[in-house]
Amino acid sequence: MSLAATTEAPSKNSPGPAGHPSFLKNAWRIIAKKPGRLLGLAIIVLFTLMAIFGPYLYPRQLPINPNAIYAPISWHYPLGTDFEGTSNLALIITGARYVLFAAAMAAVFTVVFGTALGLISGYYLGWPDSVIMRVTDFILTIPGFPLLVVLSTIWNFGQPMAMGFVLGITGWGGLARAVRSQTLSLRERGFIEAARTLGLSPFHILFKEILPNVGSYIAMNLLLAVTGSIYAEVGLFFLGVVPFQVNNWGVMLNLAVFSAGAMSSTQALPYLLSPLLALLILTLGVVLFLDAVDEMFNPRLKEA
Amino acid sequence: MKNILVRLAKRIFAGIIMVLVMASFTFFLVRMMPGNPVSAKYNELIMRGMTPVQAMDEVRVMYGFIPHQPLWQQYLHYIVQILHLNLGTSISYEGVPVLHIILDAAPWTIILVTTGLIASFIVGVLAGVIAAVKRSSPTGNAITLSGSIMHGIPQFVMGLFLAYVFTTLWAILPFGAPYNAALTPGFNGPFISSLVRHAILPVATYALSSYGGWLLTMKSSVITVLGDDFILASEVRGIKAKTRVRYIAHNAILPLFTIFALSIGFMFGGSLFIEDIFDYPGLGNLLLHAIDARDYPLMSGAFLLITVAVIVANIFADFLYSVVDPRIRR
Repeated sequence: MSLAATTEAPSKNSPGPAGHPSFLKNAWRIIAKKPGRLLGLAIIVLFTLMAIFGPYLYPRQLPINPNAIYAPISWHYPLGTDFEGTSNLALIITGARYVLFAAAMAAVFTVVFGTALGLISGYYLGWPDSVIMRVTDFILTIPGFPLLVVLSTIWNFGQPMAMGFVLGITGWGGLARAVRSQTLSLRERGFIEAARTLGLSPFHILFKEILPNVGSYIAMNLLLAVTGSIYAEVGLFFLGVVPFQVNNWGVMLNLAVFSAGAMSSTQALPYLLSPLLALLILTLGVVLFLDAVDEMFNPRLKEA
Repeated sequence: MKNILVRLAKRIFAGIIMVLVMASFTFFLVRMMPGNPVSAKYNELIMRGMTPVQAMDEVRVMYGFIPHQPLWQQYLHYIVQILHLNLGTSISYEGVPVLHIILDAAPWTIILVTTGLIASFIVGVLAGVIAAVKRSSPTGNAITLSGSIMHGIPQFVMGLFLAYVFTTLWAILPFGAPYNAALTPGFNGPFISSLVRHAILPVATYALSSYGGWLLTMKSSVITVLGDDFILASEVRGIKAKTRVRYIAHNAILPLFTIFALSIGFMFGGSLFIEDIFDYPGLGNLLLHAIDARDYPLMSGAFLLITVAVIVANIFADFLYSVVDPRIRR
């Protein structure tokens, strides 16, 4: 209750102290401008809710029904059933948690590593820059996915946190480079020079002055990292190199293609298509929403 | 020219360092495996009734280093062996040197990746130019949309889709294996046509999944160049539209070389999915097989060769870039 009150308070007197409309209100205005963006937001919210509450909707052991193996699509089984007669819809909903949680973790790690290293390397130049850029080149050059597959032999990816961490440390290169090149051009601008002359600490300059200006890159990369990580982790499970501990979409894909023979039998087709559908809808949501994020953070687009 | 050679030499040196770092990485990775496969193998051989000396020799041949020695000595030995191109012996293909197996598999992957890369590059760049020049017409928008969609679809989804449509639903193309086993390999018509027919779907998967990236990058690059003064100047001077498009394309294509690095790694990563889906006997499939069979020497070898291929391709792309871009040549 009190939380709702505090978040709503600034939006009532809309021109805030600095003369800007509040961030949330502005964001909502930008999103509501196009129906596609609203759809994107709705899809992302739906999947997030699925990840948070999905596993509570079903018993821990999903019910199996030997009489309804590979049942066709019906009211009772909206997406058909799998090889044990478990509803595909239930599998998708309960499997969303691992997939989305790991992807969110991966995106957070990517953004934290990429932003911090990019800012430091672009601002200090000199030896920290050359060391960081060497490492970045290295990370960008080595084939990331085969590396993940090899790492999966020693690392237990059953925990979404571990999966997210590994995806993060193999994926920050591109963002670090983008942030660095932005920082390089920003550090010569007047307001940064002014801040330096005022004797503000490097910490303040980096995080209070420069960081807000690279916000659009970071926000875009955050969402792109989410989709990229979802593909990578689902791909790892699809290839079957990670031991199956929890049900998720990649496990479904793997079992559908390599065990159920969904590629050649039409009755198993819903089992193959449901995780693919979930993946594609989520990607569509992120792509549609990216457009709004771009406008929210890109000052040049904001005026238009 | 001298500048280019110095640059090339630096890149090759950095590449060699990178390969050595990755080799060290796989060495320590195998040592960190739960249950340490090296001493597990040693103990297994002792249990089979071998003398410790025999078992030691066997393991040394298999992994390229000797257990029961200090780690740094094993490491040095391993690196020296790698520099002599000795990658040990495979466990699952009993007694066959890893180098033979991976060199047999490499052409399948490298030919498919290269064909896919070139095909997607040509189509993507041309479509990108058209999409940029006609960006306010429905044609341009449709091309851009096709690029965004292709760019958004993961490789394994694309592969599964193509496999399902063209081998099950509308079975016009063969599935699995690189060629018809009934034919004798060699330089004859039926064999080559079988080879090509089996390669169509994997190559199409590579090409379709990277075409969108080229298209979108080329489009934004062309739009940037379109705003440059020299384009306006050439328009004012009355230079033919065809020549102007050539000017634009030549300038706009330069930034694409810098994303080449990302693309090559992506393509070789995709070989794991594509070769798995189409059951193609390349490096990706080999890596997966090695992990499945707990064949660690083979796994290290396949991974190392994929890394080397990516690094070599990167150096080549960088070399091309310095040849194409006069600003680097000076």
